[in-house]
Amino acid sequence: MGQDVAGAVGARVGPQVESLIRAAQRGDADAFEQLVRAYDQSVLRLAMNLLRSPEDARDVYQEAFLRVYRNLHAFRFDCSFHTWLYRIVTNICLDQLRKRKVRREESAVVETADGPIDRMDSFEEEGVDSNPERTMWNRQLKGKIESAIDDLTPRERMVFELRHYQGMRLRAIGEMLGTSEEAAKNCLFRATQKMRSVLGEFV
Amino acid sequence: MTCDSVSNLISLYYYGELMPEEEDRLETHLAGCAACARELERHRKLAAALDQRTAPVSPLLLEDCRADLMAAVAGGAPRMGQRKGPWTLFLEAMASTFGGAGGRAPRWRQPIFATALVALGFVAAKMTPADFASLRNWGSVRGGANLASTTPDDVFSTVRSVQPDASGRVQISFDETHRRMVEGRMDDQAIQRLLLAASHEENPAVRVESVDILKSSAGSVQVRDALLNAVAHDPVASVRLKALEGLKPLSSDPEVRKVLSQVLMADDSDVVRMRVVDMLVERRDDALVGTLQSLMQHEDNSYVRLKCEKALKEMNASIGTF
Repeated sequence: MGQDVAGAVGARVGPQVESLIRAAQRGDADAFEQLVRAYDQSVLRLAMNLLRSPEDARDVYQEAFLRVYRNLHAFRFDCSFHTWLYRIVTNICLDQLRKRKVRREESAVVETADGPIDRMDSFEEEGVDSNPERTMWNRQLKGKIESAIDDLTPRERMVFELRHYQGMRLRAIGEMLGTSEEAAKNCLFRATQKMRSVLGEFV
Repeated sequence: MTCDSVSNLISLYYYGELMPEEEDRLETHLAGCAACARELERHRKLAAALDQRTAPVSPLLLEDCRADLMAAVAGGAPRMGQRKGPWTLFLEAMASTFGGAGGRAPRWRQPIFATALVALGFVAAKMTPADFASLRNWGSVRGGANLASTTPDDVFSTVRSVQPDASGRVQISFDETHRRMVEGRMDDQAIQRLLLAASHEENPAVRVESVDILKSSAGSVQVRDALLNAVAHDPVASVRLKALEGLKPLSSDPEVRKVLSQVLMADDSDVVRMRVVDMLVERRDDALVGTLQSLMQHEDNSYVRLKCEKALKEMNASIGTF
């Protein structure tokens, strides 16, 4: 699942992005807007996928780009802009995930008579009329996936999200999260082990 | 390389995160070990199932986010950690009341502002009923010396209006609230009455807590009615969900089923409807058929639809109304 942003992950800033950043640092509002537009879809997608709530994703978006706006003058081009931005975004998302651990009832997973179900379910409806049993089984699998992901620690979840869904390399993930590649590797390993043990019967 | 070490490395292999030499050794092992090859296949299936789990980002949400951000930036984004609390806002309102629109307070008015701040500092503090009694007469606002006296009750106040007069005095109108603590068991009628009243409180956190406690006594008619009222009318979904938990043992009570049917048709929270449909379909009756058939006309949550469809089929009823 790729990155659609200007400049590859982990790379230094490309010339076009660099000129946008420099113009935005000088107070050029149009340049700031273009800079936001170059990255904001992937930021919103990350927040939605992690938090599975449009309201929370919106809060993350707003807070992240406002922090960028306020601190852009301090960006010194000594790391990729993508890494710098994602450091901000992942910190905000981690805070949200930690708060969620406290407020369990706001989880995306709803306990129903048929087991846990993801209320943000985005899976295609497959032949509801023709085969409700099969559809129910698929829903149960999806619910199981959600509760397996819900059981990960916020950090494991973040590493898994960035590696599996955002396609980032563990080295870049470590850099974003202020940790080593090895620690990110361990997080990914623990996350996949947990999911394999919960979802073993389905795959 | 042993099967155990392959099992530990297989997820990193899948994500292409092994060192080249580790990758070579693992592939050599996989070529000769059917069990580990199956393990890798299971991992691929798991990853494929996980691939389907993506939350869509609506273009409208993106546009909304962009518009909000640009508005915040254009309006001068507030600095983090410096959000104005109610107190700061109140002081600013005071300043503008005394200072006139848009400017600093004229020099002659500054002593009045200072007097007002003293009074406000006093009003915002905890005060005893005796203090308040002495304050009821506006002439005594300068006082406040007896703040140190103690009382088991806390008194809080909300300032409603502030009026300076030409003589340099100020008139402040405030509501006072006394805090009392009571303790008791749930079977104590007075405690139950307080909890029932608390289930209507303005503060949603108080409503959640009181409904949570009340749900253990759903056997009493008053409590059942309070829970039904919360399910049907509370604006906060988590309060409605708590109330639903309390009503679960009563899901065959006709009065409860009547309200739940209405909630199923009208509630805008998916989670609430998912819980309600589970409760209703546990028991099949004729009235349920009509409710489910009508619901199928407009319900868009697929879990709720599936439960309806399954229940209707089991009751030999058609899916829709004709």
